[in-house]
Parts: sequence; C-alpha cells; structure tokens
Amino acid sequence: MILATSLAIAAMFAAGAYLMLKRDLIRLIAGMILIGNAANLFIMASGLRRGAAPILPLDEPTADPLVQAMVLTAIVISFATAALALALVYRVYISHYSVDLSRLSAAEEQQAERDEPMTEDLRESVRDDTDGEASPDGRHAREAAIR
Amino acid sequence: MIAVPIAVLWFGGFVLAVLDGTRKPAAWLSVAVLTSAILSTMALGITVYQDGPMSLAVGGWSLGVGITLRVDMLSIVFALLSQGVLLAALIYEVVNGVGARIYPAVVLFMGLGLTGLVFTGDAFNFYVFFEISMISAYVLVSYGESPRQFRAAFVFITVNLLGSVFFLIGISAIYHTTGFLDMYRIRDQMPLVQENPAILSATIIFVAFSIKLGLFPFHFWLPAVYTGTRPSVAAILSGALANIGTYGLIRFGADIFPRELRQAAPVLIALGTASIIYGAIQALSRHATNEVLAYSAIGQVGYILIALGIGGPAGYAAAVLYTVLNSTNKALLFLSGSLRGWLAGAAFAIGAFSVAGVPPASGFLGKMALFQVGIAEDRPMLVALIFLGGALSFVYMFQLYRRRTAEIEAHGSSPWGAQVVVVMLALVILGIGVWPDPLLNLVERAALSLPEAQVP
Repeated sequence: MILATSLAIAAMFAAGAYLMLKRDLIRLIAGMILIGNAANLFIMASGLRRGAAPILPLDEPTADPLVQAMVLTAIVISFATAALALALVYRVYISHYSVDLSRLSAAEEQQAERDEPMTEDLRESVRDDTDGEASPDGRHAREAAIR
Repeated sequence: MIAVPIAVLWFGGFVLAVLDGTRKPAAWLSVAVLTSAILSTMALGITVYQDGPMSLAVGGWSLGVGITLRVDMLSIVFALLSQGVLLAALIYEVVNGVGARIYPAVVLFMGLGLTGLVFTGDAFNFYVFFEISMISAYVLVSYGESPRQFRAAFVFITVNLLGSVFFLIGISAIYHTTGFLDMYRIRDQMPLVQENPAILSATIIFVAFSIKLGLFPFHFWLPAVYTGTRPSVAAILSGALANIGTYGLIRFGADIFPRELRQAAPVLIALGTASIIYGAIQALSRHATNEVLAYSAIGQVGYILIALGIGGPAGYAAAVLYTVLNSTNKALLFLSGSLRGWLAGAAFAIGAFSVAGVPPASGFLGKMALFQVGIAEDRPMLVALIFLGGALSFVYMFQLYRRRTAEIEAHGSSPWGAQVVVVMLALVILGIGVWPDPLLNLVERAALSLPEAQVP
C-alpha cells in the first residue's frame, strides 16, 4: 500500500512538473493543481494506518483522523489558489485574447517601448496614435491611457 | 490577549473586503485597523517582555489537544516588523490614491497571515497562515493589471506555489516521523528521530523557506517579480513577505532542527557567501533601480544565512537584527525609488547609505553585529567576506544614487504626501542608527527565546 501510494504521488508530481514547464497558462495551472494534489496524497500517506473510525468510545485501534483533517484543509487551500490563478488567466485572456506566456511577454516589451521615452506631450501623441488601432494591444494601451 | 491582533486584522479585513477601497474613508479605515493591530501587538509585547512567553489553546480545548497560539519575543519582533512595513506601504498607497478597491483589504489579510504565522505554535497552523499571506501576495502582485504585472504574477504564483507544496510535504514528513504537530512537542521528540529522515525533512523545509527568501540557487524568480510589480507591492514583498523565510529558517532551524542546523552550518555559510557575491555582482551590472534593489535583496539575505550558520546567541541575534534592518531598508528604497523630488531623494539617500553600511543610517549595526560574531568565532575569512560584500554594496548603491540624482534633476516633483511617508520611514531608520539600544535589547531577548541560544 505504501509503495502504491508513493508511486501514485511520484507520477502525479512528475506530470504536474512537466505541465508547469509549458508556456500555455491553462496547462501551467493544471500542473499546479496536480502538484498540489500530489502533496495532499503525501499527507494522507504520512498517516496511513488501518483501523476503525475514530469515534468515542475507542476500544479498537483507530485510523489517524488528524491527517484527514489536515488534507481537507490543504485541499481547500489548493482549490482556492487554483481558482485565483484561473481568474488571473481570465483577466489575461480578456486583455490579450491569448493565454500564452510568450504573447504576454511580447505585449510587455511593446508596452515598455511605448512607455520608455514618455514625457507629457509625447504621451498625448501616443494616445492619439493608438486610438485608431483595432488590435488587442492597441485596445489595451487605450484602456491604460483612460485609466 | 494573544488573539487580539489576529482578531482585529481578520475582522477589519472582512469589513474592508465589502467596502470600496478606492474611496478615501475606507482606505483610511484600513490604516486605522492596521495601526490598532500594531498597538495591540505592542501591548502584548510589553506583557511578554515582562512575564515571558504566553500560550493559548484556541477553541476552549485543553493545552496539548487544541491548536496552540504561542508568543515569545521572537514572534513579537517579527510581527511588529511585518506590520510596520505593511503600514508604511499602505499609507504610501492611500496617500498616492488606491488603484483597486480590494487593495486595502488584501493588505490587511496579508497582515493577518504574517501575524498569525509568527504567533502560532502549531506546524500545520503555520502552513495555513502562511497560505493566507501567500494568497494575498498573489493578488497583490497582479495589482496594476498591465502585462508586466500579469507576467510577474504568474512567475510568482508558480514558483511560490512549489515552495508551499514543499513546505506542506516537509510538515507531513515531520508529522510522520514524530507524530506531533505542536512545535514544542516536535522539538522534544526530534532528537529521538533517526538521522536520515530528520535531515531529509529539514532539507525540504530549508528549500521551501529559501524559495520564499530568494536565496542564491532559488533566487531566479525574484528579479522578474520585484521589477514587474508596483513600488508599494515590491516594498511589501521584500519588507514583509520575505520575513516568512527568515522567521521560518530561524524558528524551524534553530528551534526544531538544531542538530541538523549545526550539521548543515558549512553548507549554509557557503550558500550565504554565494548569495552575497552573486547578488552584489549582478546589482553592479544592472541599471534599472528596481533591478539593482532586487539583486541587492538576494545579496542581503546571504548575511542572514551566514549569521544562522554561525549560530549561538550572538549569531541568532545578528540574524534577527539583520532581518529587521534589511526589511526596513528595502521597504524604504522600493517606496522612495519611484518618487521624484528632493525629499524623496533625501529619503532614498538614507536608505542607500543604510544598505551600504554607512553610519548613522541603521544598516551599519547589522554589519557591525556580524563583524563582532566573526571576530568572536575567530573566522577571518568571514570578516573578509563581510568587508568585501559591504564594499561592493557601497559601490552599487552609490552608482544607483548618482543615476537617480541625475534623473531627479530632469523631472518634476511627486506629490508631497507620498514624499512625507518615505521621509518618516527614513527618519525611523536614522533614529535606529542614532539610538540603537532599544532595538539591540529587543533583538537579544528575541534570540534568547530560542532554547538553542540559552545553552552557553
């Protein structure tokens, strides 16, 4: 049983680590979820013991209730983190129409180029330029300017 | 009494999550909540200073069954440090105009996580509070919502989630080998555990906290994040959130794994050295203010690791002192680095001198404490390294300062309110440097609350 659990943990961790190296944000988050669950399984494994349900009165050996309480807490936390990360991906998709990390860095470079030589009058002219564009990046710049 | 600061922050966070933080009254309410949390922590600190550590089992359970909150001087010092940095960053942002309605609430939740984490006496509860502050940090990093911030947020979330998972694995390994989650009981049980499992769990926990701290081989995420975020968020990350790493290394290393810490001392000193030299050289070769500061942060934590590696009462006291000084310095530099105007320039100069270790700014105290430890322990190499690191940090801070003064002349002035905030912070740092006795006394008491330090 210990061997089976540790193999399962290893497989989940490996799959999660592989996914986390991807540039696609959805896969990255799937990797996070897998690794988080590998850790949860590890907690379960640390208190793996056969026994009855731990309800008073205790007259036979019981299973360890503490690991289950811990794993429940850890599941809730990893769930919340995954939800937060997915919300972030959604924001990225809304402003860039893409969930690719390389697209995001390209957009960052473009914005850096736009921001670099800015004094007040230059900023005005850039705002006028971007008004005509229909591309996602132009839209983003316009939003930033309005904000 | 122990639960008061936590309760205040928790309740305040919930109330502010409902309110619109971009409005001035709500934003100032968050400042008031954080201030009252600091005041109650101070009151608690006075009691602990006089009567010694306090414990409380939450939920009406008897001690030993329920989750314990435990406060000693080490907790108080770290709680006040984190809350102070958060307060400075929050006031800075409120004065500048809060950009997102959730910002004040998230800062309060992060304060809650950081306070709870130093107040808890239970390893798993430590993880829960740790995650509260990490999740707040994930939200804060994306504050600003430009492509830079989003990319920084993804780097930050990915790496730190891995760190959290490592910590969780470490804790369940400790639970598996000792059978306890209460830190005092783990400490009593740890000498009975076989050497290999103990070293393995200690290593996993060390890796987890090193990732948070951005120590040399685990630093790769730090520059991207610190340069990508807004100044107040960078100040929070380097001045408050990084304290998790130091506190965790001190608490878990010196308190729970003293034997393993002593065995690993050469490794810690080697990693610390690598961190100092790598950080300083990279900082020398960079131009953007935030990038220099990020690499300087990597270098500065190396000193903390070296102090931990030397150990003993003086070593732990030096580690705590260095953390306090480094956090306040970094908060000041990140906040004032983005401002223009002569007041902010003066504040930045004080922070830069502090990092370089020039009196009367407070940074020289940390370097002096390390010098004393190095001489007392008779390690000439260490003294030479501290001198070299100090010289390099003097050079890069001076370069940075010169570049900034040139920039300031070219541009106008930032709002006065924000400048006044950073000047206040700079005055605190100057004050510590001019009259260091209270802080040194506190830090010494904090180090003495570790059982390892009490043995002569």
